[in-house]
This record gives sequence, C-alpha cells and structure tokens, in this order.
Amino acid sequence: MVRKDEGHVFSSSDQELVFSSLEHDQLVRAKKHHIPRRHLKGPELAVLWALRIYLLFMMAVVVYQVWIAAH
Amino acid sequence: MSVGSQPHQTRRVIGEDEDIVITHEDVDRAHDRVRVSAARAQRGFFSGARLLWLLVGPGVLVMLGENDGPSMLSYAATGAKFGIGFFIPFVVLTFCMAIVVQEMTVRLGAATHRGHAELIFDRFGPFWGWFSMLDLAIGNFLTLITEFIAIRAGLGFFGVPPWMAVLLALVILYAALMSHRYWTWERITLAAAAFNLVFIPVALMTHPSWHSVGHSLITWKPLPGFNKDTLLIVLADIGATVTPWMLFFQQSATVDKGMTTKDIRFGRIDTVLGAALATAAAVATIVATAPLFAHQMTADNFQAAEFAQALQPIIGRLGASLFALGMVEAGIVASITISASSAYAFGEVTHKPHSLNLPLGEGKSFYSVLTLCAVAAGAIVLIPGLPLVYVVLVVNVVAVLAMPPALVFLFMLVNDREIMGDRVSPAWANVLSTAVVFVLTAAGVLFGISVIAPNIFAALGGG
Repeated sequence: MVRKDEGHVFSSSDQELVFSSLEHDQLVRAKKHHIPRRHLKGPELAVLWALRIYLLFMMAVVVYQVWIAAH
Repeated sequence: MSVGSQPHQTRRVIGEDEDIVITHEDVDRAHDRVRVSAARAQRGFFSGARLLWLLVGPGVLVMLGENDGPSMLSYAATGAKFGIGFFIPFVVLTFCMAIVVQEMTVRLGAATHRGHAELIFDRFGPFWGWFSMLDLAIGNFLTLITEFIAIRAGLGFFGVPPWMAVLLALVILYAALMSHRYWTWERITLAAAAFNLVFIPVALMTHPSWHSVGHSLITWKPLPGFNKDTLLIVLADIGATVTPWMLFFQQSATVDKGMTTKDIRFGRIDTVLGAALATAAAVATIVATAPLFAHQMTADNFQAAEFAQALQPIIGRLGASLFALGMVEAGIVASITISASSAYAFGEVTHKPHSLNLPLGEGKSFYSVLTLCAVAAGAIVLIPGLPLVYVVLVVNVVAVLAMPPALVFLFMLVNDREIMGDRVSPAWANVLSTAVVFVLTAAGVLFGISVIAPNIFAALGGG
C-alpha cells in the first residue's frame, strides 16, 4: 500500500516516478531500518583502541603546545 | 547480506507488508534521477558530457571545499617560506592521497545509500559512533571558525569591517540553502567553488619560472631543511588536503544526490576532477607567494590580507585584490560544505530528516544545525584579541591527528562484504589506504616528538 507523506498530496505520476526512478533502499522510509551491528573481532578492537589512545595523547600534546605558546 | 541495489535484498529492508510512505525528498530525488537515466539511455559524446554534468558535484565540491581558508593560508605560507621546490610535488602527492580516501566514500554511499555517521553507528554501535561524532563535531567547529577568519581577513583587505564580513558570509550561506533542493544548492556552491581557480591568474601575474616549477615537480628539489618549522608546514599541507569532514560530506552528498552503483565510475571521475582542480589552485597559491621567499620576507604570522598586501608591489592592486577575494571564496565555500557535513551527520545519528531536498518545515533540525554551527563560528571570530593565526595552525594539526581513526572506520566499512557486496575495496586500494593511514600517523607522531622533545630536531641538523 502506498501512503502519502503527512500533510502533502503527491500525484499518481509522482508516485510512479519515485518507484520507477529510485532503488527501494533509497526511499526515506527504507532508511529508518537499521543495518545490523557487526561483531568486532579482537584485532579490530585493538586497532580502534590504539588509535583512540593515540588521538587522546596527541590532543594532550596539542593542548600542551597551546599552553606553552600562551605563556 | 547486502543493503546494496539488488531488489530481492532491499525487500528485507522495507518489508513487504509495510506501508510505503513517499516524501518530498523522494520526489525531488526521483526527478534528478530521471534526468540521469535519460542521459544514460542515449549514446554519443554529448550524452556522455551531459551525464558527467549531471553526476559531478560531491567530488568537486569536497576537493575545492577543502581548499579552504586555512588550507590556502598554509599554501601561501609554504610558498613564502620555502619558495618553489619540494612542496609543489608534495602537495600533488597529498591530493593523490585524498583521491584514494574519497573514492572509498563514493563507493560506500552509492552501495549502501547511507551516510558515513549512520553506517558507523549502525555497524560499530553507539560507543564507537559517539567517539567518531565527537571527533567530527570538534574538528568541524574549529575548522568552521577558521573559515570565518579567512573571510574576515580577506574582506579586511577591502576595508570591510569584521562584523559585516561575517554577516555577508552568513547571508551567502543561507541564500544557497533557500532553494531547498540538493541540485540547486550543489550548482550554486559549485559556481562559487569555481572561483577558487582565481589563484591561477594570480600566480601567472608573478611571472614564475616554469623551468623551476617543472624541475621541482620532477626532482622534488630544492629540499627544505629538516626542522620543526618544516614539519609544521608538512602537517599543515597534509591537513589542507585530507580531513575527517571530507569523508562525512562526500558520502552524505553522494547519498543525497541519489547516486547508485551504476554511477560509481562517474563518482570517481568527479573526485579526480575535483582533485585536479584543487591541486592546480593549491600549486598556483604556492607559486603566487614564492616571490615573497625570493624577497626574504618573513610571513610567519601573515593572514590573507597581509599576504595580499605583501604581494601588491609585485602583482599590483588587481592581483592583490584577486588574491584576497580568493581567500574569501575559500572560506565561504568551505563554510557551506562543512556546516552541511555537520548537519548531515547530526541527522544521520539522531534519525531526524537530513537532506538538502527537505522543505524548511520538514527539515527544521537539519537546517537549524547547519545555520547554528555557522552563526556560532562566525560569532567567535568577532571576539577581540583572539589569536587568529594560531587558531588556524592548531586546526590544521588537529585535522591531521583525527584522520587515522576516521580512516580506519572507513577502511573497515568499505571492506565490509555484508554491506558492500562485491563493491568491497580491491587489494591495491587497501594497500594504498593503509599507506595513507601510516603516513598520517607518522606525521602526527613526528609532530608530538617535535613538541615534547624539540632538541631531537636540533640534533638532526634542524633548528
């Protein structure tokens, strides 16, 4: 069944246009469905954590640099 | 399972017994797709050219958008500090890295029809998703501030007061949004972005030595001294070409434009074309300010206006004005694309409507985030006494540091067969993207060493 967006009326040609031109998962409605979560393996988690620690450490370095420059 | 384009698989996503609601966004996107299909159905050169015209956009915008205020200032500082030499081929190399990275976002967007933030949240969960969003939000906001710094400084050359410069930029940003159509917004922004090429005539006005330019491109010489200043410029130039907002923007824009797996080839052409134009503008900026190096001028703390003023005796008032206007354009186009990137990501994460095809009433949160980001950044630039040059430097460095974690998420997503199907990265692309991650991480580590133990650089022969 095809419903119209609330408060708007689309012509039948618009509906036809949408269904003939867009792939089903391009529809706004389809995007409300989540893609299933992926199970992260040990090495993947290790890389993500390593880069997170790297980023936090480097941000601390940047803050230190800013502090040095300010004084 | 793929959420790609195959109909039998998309049924799972929608559900056969479920109501299908169509929206304005769907209708607008369908109209755009009809024109693409019509162009694709025809044969011949002009049909091909029309198809290219219809499908270019995200790639050119992201590349010229990244030639933003701080980037152009970095290139200007590079030319003034080192002249024509190592950094010209180096900048070409950084844009090659950008092509490798951005091509992956085209494939991801076309195959999944989902934005980057949405995919990270769905596939890796909110824990990693929020980390990623935090990186993006901080980076985008800081970068947006620097865009307004460039706009303020560029218009300052013409005597425009800072508050008026910020207001003018906000009016242009808002005007681009007024159509509430992705297509119109994209064309307006592309037209504005084309002005980035103004740095090419400015470079020509300096009557550069083409022999030196060609020699440096081939030999990468003369090499700069290895010291902290050189490293900062290296980092700033890398940060000027590859940053996290680009990943989020191009993937979201690819989705909003309605591109599918059939369009990936044109998405690649779009990305390479954008990189070529952006490289030309970046190299032209280095060449344009190289005479300052020849005249031994110190440009360490120059902003856009100071560069234009310093160049005026060499290229005249017209050339200096074009240089200043180029800086303004760089800031305006980037403020449009970066604020769009933030708004897309916010909508994807909160599952609120997020498209430039949305009418104002349906896209209140999307347009509010977009506008608020720009207004807040513009307001900060008006704070008296803010060390603007230092902010620009820090922002470029932060962009480089935040890139490796963002790239690893991208790498994992684009190799995820469950969502990409047979569109996963080939081995050669994985080798290249892994190399990019290593280069960026190494650059960040070197920066850390230069701050914590600057004597190491002195011991290696630098200052």
